[in-house]
Amino acid sequence: MIIAERKPLNEIMDMLKGVSRLLVLGCRGCVAICSAGGDKEVEILASAIRLGCKKQGMGMEIDTDTYIRQCDPEYIEPLKERGRQYDAVLSMACGVGVNFIADLCPGVRVLPGLNTSFYGANLSSGEWKEMCAGCGACVLHLTGGLCPVARCAKRLSNGPCGGSVGGRCEIDPNVSCVWFAIHSKMQQMNRADDLMEIMPIRDWRTAGHGGPRSRRREDLLS
Amino acid sequence: MSNRITAFCCNYTLSASEAALKKEGLIPEGVTLRPLPCTGRLEIKDLLNAFVEGAEAVVVVGCEKDACHNLKGSVRAEKRVKHVKGMLKELGMSPDLIEMHFAPRKASEPLIRAVEEMSQRLKG
Amino acid sequence: MTEKSNLEHILTSGQFAVTGELGPPKNGDMEVVRRKARILKGHVDAVNITDCQTAIVRMSSLTAGLIALSEGVEPVMQMTCRDRNRIAIQAEALGAEALGIKNLLCLTGDHQKFGNHPQAKGVFDMDSIQLLTMMRQMRDERRFQCGEEIKGPAPDFFLGAAANPFADPFEFRPRRLAKKVAAGARFIQTQIIYNVEKFARFMEMVRDLGLHEKVYILAGITPPKSLGMARYMKNYVPGLDVTDEVIQRMRDARDQRAEGIQIAVDIIQQVREIPGVKGVHIMAIEWEEAVPEIVKLAGLGPRPEPKGVEPRLVSQQAIELAVSQAGEQAKASIEQGLEQVKKELQVSTELLAKEKDRAAQRVAALEKELQEAREMVAEKKSETAMLVAELNEAKNLLKNAASALAAAPVQVQALNPAAAAGVALSGQEAALTSREQMALNALKQGLAALRKAMNLTEDQFEAIKQFLEAQFVLYLGAPMGIQAGQIPVQPVSTAVMPAQPVADVGATGRSPLQQGQVTASIATEKVEAAVSPVKPVTEPVSKPAAAVVTGAEGMPPCPEGLTQEEWRNKWLIRLIAKANVCLQRGDASGAKAFFEQVLALDAQNARAKAGLERIAAGLVPTPSAPTSEALKEAARPVAEVEQPKAEPKPAPEPVKEVKPEAPVQKSEEKAAVVAAPAVQAASQPLPKEQVSLAERCGQVSKDLFMEPCSASVRPVTIGDGPKAITVGGASTLPFHLFEGEMPYAPKVAYDVLDVQPDEWPDVLSRHYSDVFSDPARWAQKCVKEYGAEAICLSLVSTDPNGMNRPASEAVKTVTSVLNAVDCPLVLWGCGNAEKDTETLREVTSHLGNRRVCIAPLTDANYRSLGATALGMNLPVVAATPIDVNLAKQLNILLENLGLPLENVLMDPSIGAVGYGMEYTYSVIERIRLAALTQQDAKLAVPFICNIGREVWKAKETKIASSDSLGDQERRGILMEAITASALLLAGGDLLIMRHPKAIEMTNVLVQAMM
Repeated sequence: MIIAERKPLNEIMDMLKGVSRLLVLGCRGCVAICSAGGDKEVEILASAIRLGCKKQGMGMEIDTDTYIRQCDPEYIEPLKERGRQYDAVLSMACGVGVNFIADLCPGVRVLPGLNTSFYGANLSSGEWKEMCAGCGACVLHLTGGLCPVARCAKRLSNGPCGGSVGGRCEIDPNVSCVWFAIHSKMQQMNRADDLMEIMPIRDWRTAGHGGPRSRRREDLLS
Repeated sequence: MSNRITAFCCNYTLSASEAALKKEGLIPEGVTLRPLPCTGRLEIKDLLNAFVEGAEAVVVVGCEKDACHNLKGSVRAEKRVKHVKGMLKELGMSPDLIEMHFAPRKASEPLIRAVEEMSQRLKG
Repeated sequence: MTEKSNLEHILTSGQFAVTGELGPPKNGDMEVVRRKARILKGHVDAVNITDCQTAIVRMSSLTAGLIALSEGVEPVMQMTCRDRNRIAIQAEALGAEALGIKNLLCLTGDHQKFGNHPQAKGVFDMDSIQLLTMMRQMRDERRFQCGEEIKGPAPDFFLGAAANPFADPFEFRPRRLAKKVAAGARFIQTQIIYNVEKFARFMEMVRDLGLHEKVYILAGITPPKSLGMARYMKNYVPGLDVTDEVIQRMRDARDQRAEGIQIAVDIIQQVREIPGVKGVHIMAIEWEEAVPEIVKLAGLGPRPEPKGVEPRLVSQQAIELAVSQAGEQAKASIEQGLEQVKKELQVSTELLAKEKDRAAQRVAALEKELQEAREMVAEKKSETAMLVAELNEAKNLLKNAASALAAAPVQVQALNPAAAAGVALSGQEAALTSREQMALNALKQGLAALRKAMNLTEDQFEAIKQFLEAQFVLYLGAPMGIQAGQIPVQPVSTAVMPAQPVADVGATGRSPLQQGQVTASIATEKVEAAVSPVKPVTEPVSKPAAAVVTGAEGMPPCPEGLTQEEWRNKWLIRLIAKANVCLQRGDASGAKAFFEQVLALDAQNARAKAGLERIAAGLVPTPSAPTSEALKEAARPVAEVEQPKAEPKPAPEPVKEVKPEAPVQKSEEKAAVVAAPAVQAASQPLPKEQVSLAERCGQVSKDLFMEPCSASVRPVTIGDGPKAITVGGASTLPFHLFEGEMPYAPKVAYDVLDVQPDEWPDVLSRHYSDVFSDPARWAQKCVKEYGAEAICLSLVSTDPNGMNRPASEAVKTVTSVLNAVDCPLVLWGCGNAEKDTETLREVTSHLGNRRVCIAPLTDANYRSLGATALGMNLPVVAATPIDVNLAKQLNILLENLGLPLENVLMDPSIGAVGYGMEYTYSVIERIRLAALTQQDAKLAVPFICNIGREVWKAKETKIASSDSLGDQERRGILMEAITASALLLAGGDLLIMRHPKAIEMTNVLVQAMM
């Protein structure tokens, strides 16, 4: 899922200068699951903003709501009208939600409440880790299911660099060396020889370097 | 007028009602006592709202760490208090305006001391 | 084809190569590079020009390489992938080719995190191996990476790469080297070697792969400049293996620099001996001066005269030379001209003297010419002098700048060691003493509640309090009392006084108050059976303590683990407690007997004395002949007080939080001890909670424990007339009566089959076997004998995979049942969508005005059956396979059909306990939460749960009684009752069940909870 975290409150308060009616709008998708922008976090942020306003002597009317998702048009439909009642809508969805509202709701000023971090997994309560870079050209079948694009600091394609020590990455001993793990995994599966194949230079167009990405499925289009 | 302090405490650490404590002069007038079933029930939102609703400072008094009735309630509360400290800092406020305390069962002394300490902090 | 590089020449000719390293400056000063190049010149065959090593911004590798080349030193240009994409790298390569660079070392590059711009975007368009591939393609195929042809000169480099024998995984290192060779590397420079032994092992693996014949390997050498540097490399540079020996040598050295050089020399000599090592790469970081000495001491000097090292661009030196040569030429030509003029002047003067008279006018003209010539000479002279002065000045300036730079301090960037912070979790175990304390507090609170609830007088209360305190001390103190799994009453009565089990129930553990509670469920019947024909509910036990007296002093033998004294005290407390119980009951003589026993053991016992005095003074409360109603009411608080002792494992809970159904569980435990099927006796109502939650919560504000719902479930009515039942309608979660309304209690329908079941275990079928042949009589029996409020007629015989009875026969069965009973009826089809459509359509046309509920409607037949139900205004069951969304979807479809949801019950598919019930539970709960808290109107529909069918097909209901699994019937009953109770808590509204006892228990539970 998409992992995100709340923006620092001072940054949010700066954004809200001059706003007197605000809607803090959560999303029950990924950001709710990673405890960044669900119902609970919406209430917390609203309270924090109220406190911030109080401290700065600002008057602000704050409403809260949480939509099922902010990345499907049917769910943000009501916001087209409702959003105009506010000076700003502080979206606690990932960047997708903020963009989508900006695209679909003219006349609504939408602001980001979160920093969208990465695609990751929930290691344990309160701990997330990047697992996919969304590069659009998956090589996991060659690397024992472990991603060198998302999980190697240098996005290496052909094995661990000289900084791999004891399974740790040279940039930070808290980061594990994914190529070390790939090698062990492939060894376990008796496929270590597969790693002798030189992986060719990647085509990064699918990773967003070819411009903004989109996808169409003719069979599903109405 | 004494400072407005909201004190959250759990059912197990609360020994006397707010009125009784005030009558004895053990806690100042400005203090609001908010008993909870367990401090583990406190949400970050509740702590922030205490400030929004007018408290200048907040203290939380929960069971001693190894003797919480709900095993980890007060430890959870401590983590949330710590989180709120961070949020206060982000808002340009002092993180010292909120504090967590641990108290044995039915002992009013720690609560009184916690409130007193916070009052001093606000005055100093 | 361009000429080979000097390095390639040395290596291919079989000579042992020496390369050095030159770090460009962090500024734009060319002199730094020139100075370093001059130091290395003649001592190495080529010099690596680093490419922003450790990601710190420096003069570019290409530029510094060209400067080195202008000094006559052959550069090995390093190229990393960190800062450039394929476009920039290829562009650089073209430039390098144009300007005469011949060696290229392909690297991935240090991560930007280590450098002075950790915020930078790391490019890493490719890795070192892919870079080698690309450079080889440019050279050999004369194509850019994209495949486009390079027209004109293409980069033609002697390609090299790096290898680290000390990084992990060690066994992959030679293979990675093999990949680099396969990608085009001709020479390899290794990471700095201190651990020669490990390097030798690496080389052995390299030789095993045959790589030493395909690539020239140059061993990396660095003289440690100081102990500090050695330590730093050991601790902070990942992938560098500095041995303890090196650290020790540096520590012991008097002159660390000399020792560092000696270490480098020693290592060179060792690695030279390793087969496959074709040279050394000496990296004297910011200590280039050490290189000539190392080379000399290692016996590697002097180096052969370099070949083909020529700058293609004219260097600054050449410009200087040209300028000074031009100046001298100019000076010479001017001097020559001056000489000539002088001679001409001489001739002219002589001529003038000879022809003085003849050419007086000519003299004047000649003099004028002479003057002009003189002026011209002076001018040229001063010009020459100025040129010379300027040249000298420029030279001085350059000299000064160079020396200033050489003296500039050089900083080494330190890495911050990242400290790993482990989060320690502290485990928590409540101390036993604090638990006891808590239990005691709980007891006290419970007592207060009891007193309040029963309006006890001071004396009554005191008596009970004393009794309970005594019990508390007894159970908590006695070693057998606190073992997990034991019921507090049992051990005392069996272990201490095995002879009097009958009296004991009344005398020790149980006040008469408690007996109402004891009999509250099936388990009690056994106790009753074992105990006596006594009916404890209505008949207070009146033959108490006399029988208890055993032993000479009336005291049983001391149990193990207690001293005689301790045991005596305990025994005394117990006796007093018993006496107090008697007093409480109004049994003065019994109390007297106990008090006297106490005095016999302890003549000074004040409590006993006081007790006797009170008896004598007639202060005994009159026995109030408790009615069963009063007993029932009283049972609750006492039972709750017991709770903390009954479960020593979790922290004891205070009285108020004890669940009302606790006594059921406890009796159950007891039941397991005695084995006798006793399912016939009627269950007694369970005690109800009398104190409201708000009261029990005391000062805690309401919004902390109340989460009222904002919507309600639709009520659905089945059947007609006075016997019609309505389920659903709740505006709160099941039984959360403190938060909202639950206007209709959940109901149970008896499952009746339209054919004799062949797979029912005997323990179930024995209750119905007399009526199996006739579903109408079966239904009647359920109503008359068991008080069924609803019947579910399961048309199992219509199943096309079974008996496949036609719809017409189903009509007959249904009609006969309808005629036999007037309670609400659910008609449950065989589960085959097509056949059910056929059967139920047919049946419904014969229902008359009866509001029968038809089931199940699935996504396969909801249209036809829904239309039928709509036409006849019948309630229906919408059945879906355990999924919130499917359930909602079917409801929407039914509503779209025009069927009002007020006529729909949901069957979300359920599993029996042990057969996926938790999944069922979760789905039901989620649906109900969506309905109540998120106002999802499409899900605000009651649940029907077909429990009997699921439970009685579980194999556990069919395994015969045994020691390990207990009684078969009891097992089945409990499985059905527990499944029912769990699903009630999840949100079940109408349950379909089979065993009369299980149904009875379920009804008892429902009554107690409402």
